[in-house]
Amino acid sequence: MTIVLPSLETVVVISAFALIYMLVLLRKTMQGKFDLYDFLMLSMVAIIPAGFALFPSLAYLVSHLTGVVFPFVVMFGALFLVVFAFMHNMTARLHKLERQNCALIQEQSLMALELQAKERGRSGG
Amino acid sequence: MRQDLRGQGGVANRELDSTGMCGADAPSGSAPRILLVIPCFNEADSIGNLLSEVAATGCDYHTLVVDDGSSDATSAVASRSSPVARLAQNLGIGGAVQTGIKYAARQDFDFCIQIDGDGQHDPRAIATLLNAYSKDPANITIGSRFIDNAGFCSTRMRRAGIRLIVLALNGLFAGGRITDPTSGMRLLDRSAIAFFAKSYPTDFPEPISLAWAMRAGLTVNEVPVEMRPRETGVSSIDGLKSASYMIRVLGYILLARLVRAP
Repeated sequence: MTIVLPSLETVVVISAFALIYMLVLLRKTMQGKFDLYDFLMLSMVAIIPAGFALFPSLAYLVSHLTGVVFPFVVMFGALFLVVFAFMHNMTARLHKLERQNCALIQEQSLMALELQAKERGRSGG
Repeated sequence: MRQDLRGQGGVANRELDSTGMCGADAPSGSAPRILLVIPCFNEADSIGNLLSEVAATGCDYHTLVVDDGSSDATSAVASRSSPVARLAQNLGIGGAVQTGIKYAARQDFDFCIQIDGDGQHDPRAIATLLNAYSKDPANITIGSRFIDNAGFCSTRMRRAGIRLIVLALNGLFAGGRITDPTSGMRLLDRSAIAFFAKSYPTDFPEPISLAWAMRAGLTVNEVPVEMRPRETGVSSIDGLKSASYMIRVLGYILLARLVRAP
C-alpha cells in the first residue's frame, strides 16, 4: 500500500481552519451560546480532517482496518457519523422543547382563566 | 349555557329531561357536568353565532372557547358569552383541544364535547352524542358525517383519503368500526378526558388520537350527525398537503399500533 502524504500547504490550510474554527467555537461556548456537548460535536468538523492531515499514517491504518481503500472516504464517513449523531440528539431536544413550550402555553392560558374567574368571583361577592 | 367556572357557583344542576335531549346520566347518577370545548383560530365572524346557537339549545352546557393565538377579534367576541382560554401562540388544533381537555379534567367535568368554532357543527347535535352515550356508553363518541351521508359535501380525493384512514384504524385495532376518524365533533367521558389530558397528538390530532385511545383500550362509538359547510375560512388540508397528510397520518397510526402513546 502506497502512503500518499498530504502536501505542506494542505496541512497548513486544514490546521489553520481547525484552529480558527475551534477558537470561534470556544468563544461561543464561553459566551454560553453552546454547551460543552455542542462544542465537542461541532469541533469534530475541525478535529477529524486535521487528524487525517497531521497523522497520515494513522489515517491509512484506520482505512486499512475498516477495509476502505481511501482514507478520504473514512474521514467523510466519520464526519457524517458525527453529524448524524448530533442531528439525532438535536431533533430529540427540539421535540422535547416543543412539547414543553406547548405545555407551558397551555398552563399559562389555564392559569389566566382561573385568575380571571377568581377576580370575577371576588368582585361579585 | 353557563359561563361561570366550577368553584364560582358553576355546577350545572339542571336535571336531565325525560327525553335525554340535554344530557346523559353522569357516572355518579347526578346531573352530568358537560363542557363544550370550542377551539378557534381567527373565527371572529362565526364564533358569536355559534355561542348564540349553543345558548339557544337551552341546555346547561359549560363552554370554553380556546383561542389558538388568533390575530382577529375572536377572543373579544367569544368572551361576551363564554370563558376564553387565550393561547399566547398558535399551537395548532391539537394543542388547543388539549387545553380544553386539561381544563375539563381539572374542573372535574363528566363529559367534554369538542365542536369546531367555524360553525360546521350544529350545537343541536350535541344532544345526539349525549343520547348515544346514554344508550351505548363508550369512552369516545364521534359525530360521524358518513353514517347517513347527510348534508356533507367533500372532494372525492378527500373521501378516499378518509376511507384509507378508516381501513387502517379498523384493520389495525380490535373493535374498530369507525366511519369518520377526522370528525372534529366528539364526546369524551371521564376516562377519555383523563387519558387525553396526559397526552394528545399535536399533528393531525383527530385520527391519531383515536389510534392512541384504541391502543390504550378505550372504546369508540359513532353516531350520525349532519355537518354544515363552513361559515368562514378554508380547510387547511387541501391540494398537495392532503397527500402529505395521508402519508403522515397512516404512519402515525401504524406507529400507534406498534408503540403505546407517550
